[in-house]
Amino acid sequence: MSHLAAPAGRPLGVGILGAGPVTQAIHLPALARLQDILEVRHIMDVDAAVASSVAARVGAAASTSMDALLANPNVDIVAICSPHQFHADQVIAACRAGKKAVLCEKPFAMNAAEAARISAVSTETGVPIVVGAMHTFDPGWLEAEQNWGNLPDQAHTIRSSIVLPPNARFEDFATEIITRPASGRPDYSDIEVIKGALQGGIMGLAIHDLPLVRRFTPDFADIEVLQALHVRPFGYAVSLRTPTRTIELRAVMNSTWKPEWTFEAIADDAALHIDFTPSYVQAGSAVATFSRNDGSETTTFGPYGHNGYEGEWRELAELARGTRQAPPAQTLIDDLTFALAIAEATVASAAAGHAVATAEAGAPA
Amino acid sequence: MSGKYSVSATSAAHETGAVTQTVASLPATFGPAAEDQRGTADILVVDGGPGWTAETASAVAAGARGIVVANPVPEDTTELAAAADAAGTAVVLDLRWASNAALASGTAAPDARDAVRSALGTASLLDSVATAAPGTDPQRLLGDHLAALLAVSGGLHAVAVLRSGPTGYALSGRLANGAPFTAQGVLTAARRFGVDIRLYTADGGVSVQVPDPDAAWPAEVRVTGAHGELLLPTLYESAHRTAWRRLKDHLGAGTRPDDLAGFSRLTDLYATVAAT
Repeated sequence: MSHLAAPAGRPLGVGILGAGPVTQAIHLPALARLQDILEVRHIMDVDAAVASSVAARVGAAASTSMDALLANPNVDIVAICSPHQFHADQVIAACRAGKKAVLCEKPFAMNAAEAARISAVSTETGVPIVVGAMHTFDPGWLEAEQNWGNLPDQAHTIRSSIVLPPNARFEDFATEIITRPASGRPDYSDIEVIKGALQGGIMGLAIHDLPLVRRFTPDFADIEVLQALHVRPFGYAVSLRTPTRTIELRAVMNSTWKPEWTFEAIADDAALHIDFTPSYVQAGSAVATFSRNDGSETTTFGPYGHNGYEGEWRELAELARGTRQAPPAQTLIDDLTFALAIAEATVASAAAGHAVATAEAGAPA
Repeated sequence: MSGKYSVSATSAAHETGAVTQTVASLPATFGPAAEDQRGTADILVVDGGPGWTAETASAVAAGARGIVVANPVPEDTTELAAAADAAGTAVVLDLRWASNAALASGTAAPDARDAVRSALGTASLLDSVATAAPGTDPQRLLGDHLAALLAVSGGLHAVAVLRSGPTGYALSGRLANGAPFTAQGVLTAARRFGVDIRLYTADGGVSVQVPDPDAAWPAEVRVTGAHGELLLPTLYESAHRTAWRRLKDHLGAGTRPDDLAGFSRLTDLYATVAAT
């Protein structure tokens, strides 16, 4: 893969809204590898101590106010790494502040109406928006895309399987974290807990790969959840179907040391298998393998030297400099509505399954 | 002929069970029956297609000392088991994946069955994918798949079909501890045929990859935990040869295999699943 040539002149300035573990362990290490083109100039967090501590690591200004960050003339690109519910308003505010590009961590909105509102503002202001679906920027995925021919039209089976240890293991490999969110002890007998876990599983974990799934699912609007099961302590097993595709989503977050993150698209005569590297660490790109003839013929792409997080920052720099065209807003909206539809149907399926199980057990649902 | 026991197989069984090359790999024990002695061979090989229990019962009645059934489909084996017991005939089932020695070694050697069963108590998910060629009858694949899953897990509960069609199927159920079980059959010519079984536990799990028995490529069984990852010893023996070696052992020891009794669990599960 070609590397971005260092442009002449001053690096572009980056401002980050939200300085939690994702900012500390993912974005700052990725940006540290791109200092010739990008420079962190402002960190905002509602916790003043966190904002100033994280900002001090990179020599940036600190604040507890979004307005202060957006008013900072040294900030060209805004990254939104705040809790999900703030994403839409902050994306819109960044666009209206006249910034050159916006990165929004997934999901970039919580419903289709918010997504449409963002799209309209992006069109009106001309500010490009990138959603932090890092795998779509992974050089392994991008190389697969260049070589998959008509596989998206031919694939009949798609699988996403994610096995990960708790985030802290890889956060600690990447940086020295301050302030982690407290973890509780969920009551798995409470269907509301299960519903919340599945909603979080789809919108927080599966969502990394759902844009990939959608690329192989032309009739994505007709998605149907056949079954959704919660996997303890955190995970899911979701079976989906469209009129032409079968889709299986698996995730297990346990105390293993061994991460496995795979995506597969399978047709009658060709298949794509991608092994992604774990988040947080700078462990290079995914490895994409095409196979044919009972697996006896394979073509492999990768690993390349950087992962999708670095890839998305490289793309942001090009967007901000105007050397690359912004992704179509409709793609972002379709990705989001696809994820929301699956999340909603997954939760409904789990609730229905719980009601049946409870009724069979003779207890009130 | 060479070997102690003469072997005869129908043409269908020859192909399904890869009989020629398998018998040739145990030359001191088995050998092909002479042309004029095929009807009275010591060992008869029966193709496991529909009706195999009746055909096998006929072979028992004809006085075969041993019978190998190549890749049997689920059928009620109760009467056949009784007839084989009464006649003292050793009936060995040569199952596509479940007969692989890596799943159940039959010895003190570590195998997938031990690895999986010792981890079931802390299981959080059992997930499996079986891959076969396009055009394969999904019901045949389902039978092969369930046989492999039963061989390692011992039991699956509330198993139901979520979908089934020309490109494969999906199942779900639960394990004894309540954890979910999911399985998928995929028909494609793009990947190596075989079955992949993953058991996830609190701190790791067990991964079992079993290839088709058309070559002696080994299954891989990996146990992951706090200790790291352990690859169990690889066994370069096809499922066919493992089945024949078991037959040899039983004939030599004068014992009878319990394959038919064990197969009834598969038949029962298959019937339950097929009804969903």
